Amino acid sequence: MTDDEWVSYELTVDGKPHQVTARWDESLLTVLRERLGVRGPKLGCAHGRCGACTVTLALDGESALTCSCLLPAAAAAGADVSTVASLAAGDGALSDVQDAFLEAGAVQCGYCTAGMVQSATGLLERNPDPTRDDVVAALYGNLCRCTGYGRIVEAVLATAARRRNR
Amino acid sequence: MLLAAPRFALPETVAEAVAALAERPGAVLVAGGTEVLPDLLWRRRSAAGFVSLRRIPGLRTVVPGLTLGSGVTAARLQRPDVAAAAPALARSAASLGTPQVRAEATLGGNVVSALPYRNLLPVLLALDATLVLASAAGEREVPFDGFVLAPGQAALRPGEVLTAVRVPVRTGFQDYVKVGRRNAQYVATVSAAVVVDTAERRVRFGFGNAAATPLRLDEADRAATAAVDWSTGAVTLDGAEAVAELVRRGVDPPEDDAATAAYRRHALGVLARRLLLRAGGADDR
Ligand SMILES: Cc1cc2nc3c(=O)[nH]c(=O)nc-3n(C[C@H](O)[C@H](O)[C@H](O)COP(=O)(O)OP(=O)(O)OC[C@H]3O[C@@H](n4cnc5c(N)ncnc54)[C@H](O)[C@@H]3O)c2cc1C
Ligand code: FES
Ligand code: FES
Repeated sequence: MTDDEWVSYELTVDGKPHQVTARWDESLLTVLRERLGVRGPKLGCAHGRCGACTVTLALDGESALTCSCLLPAAAAAGADVSTVASLAAGDGALSDVQDAFLEAGAVQCGYCTAGMVQSATGLLERNPDPTRDDVVAALYGNLCRCTGYGRIVEAVLATAARRRNR
Repeated sequence: MLLAAPRFALPETVAEAVAALAERPGAVLVAGGTEVLPDLLWRRRSAAGFVSLRRIPGLRTVVPGLTLGSGVTAARLQRPDVAAAAPALARSAASLGTPQVRAEATLGGNVVSALPYRNLLPVLLALDATLVLASAAGEREVPFDGFVLAPGQAALRPGEVLTAVRVPVRTGFQDYVKVGRRNAQYVATVSAAVVVDTAERRVRFGFGNAAATPLRLDEADRAATAAVDWSTGAVTLDGAEAVAELVRRGVDPPEDDAATAAYRRHALGVLARRLLLRAGGADDR
């Protein structure tokens, strides 16, 4: 590879700053997984359909859930990226959404789970009292080939109910 | 410029983007990347570099009245200010891709993709939208009608950047419907938008995947305009059926794995009739 293929920039991932050097066309997902060893986001389809690569991208004062496989990583230079790893407390304890997924049996192979949990967590931040339809709409971009969605939706609704009663 | 490398540029202004593109032969513009990255993956396109429009704040603004920066995302188009000024555009954005895709997919990328089944294009036709294009030679404004020359081919000059889309604000009913195998994860098998302008007493449709390019039908628009009782806003069933017949005759839809041309022709007639009856206040049918 010639020298002109490379781009260098900063990325903060789950609170930790990194100096990245990567090819100009690498996706954010590739940079996270292959360059930085951040393994929460998964490579499913690589073209925006499955949501296994979902991360929260905070950039220029806006924050949104996005497919990291679709974004050229260098376009996110200076961004603050949060993955599933930043949901837990850090002492090994899971977040309430993650706990609810386990309790509801909403995890089988687990490949979709990091993305599902990210989308569910994002929904509950925006809308603490979602209807079943709201949950289904929020998870529309996350595909699961094992669990069958029913238990996943239950887990999200259960978390919302538990937070309300707290 | 936030970042400048031989094959990658991250400009902060349109002028920087135009210059960065000129300096990088073979580089492509990338806004959200939701088309460019899959295209590269499937080798439908090649690129020798990227000039990203993602960090140009001026392209992401919404000016009431309504001027939408080309970098405005589908998620942004769903918000109440746009939904009030251009309801059909917000409806159409709501069925574009998935929530994650809508967070990055831009209006400009949808327009420049120039594919007849893209969500926002029939709406822009029905609304009489115009496009603002910038290049080293300066700025020009062109109607969106006529901008799509062929599937995937826009009337964009080399080195030109789409900076904004101007959308006239109309008072009256607007809607967008899309028929697809799934609503958002698949492209529209066919789609249609309707815009009623109560001030000018005019109805205008736009159709998606009804021909090689997004389609308008003057005859159907005239018949639809005549089918409205402008004092009450009501639409007769006969009037709506006459419009459907003109649509079936006027379209020239593609034939592919998703549907036959005959199915598309039939479905486009149904959508036109349904939208017009909805505009007239009828219950959904
Ligand atoms: C999972 C998935 C589902 C999708 N579903 C839908 C759907 O339901 N309906 C639909 O319509 N689309 C859909 N799309 C396609 C895509 O998301 C949209 O067309 C989107 O609006 C493209 O915007 P972008 O900013 O991501 O474009 P990009 O990929 O960044 O660019 C697309 C093209 O436009 C050019 N371009 C972009 N901005 C400019 C500009 N300002 N000036 C000049 N050229 C420019 C680029 O060079 C490129 O050729 C889907 C995509 C994915 C991945
Ligand atoms: S890997 Fe990104 S959506 Fe499937
Ligand atoms: S648990 Fe296997 S893909 Fe969802």
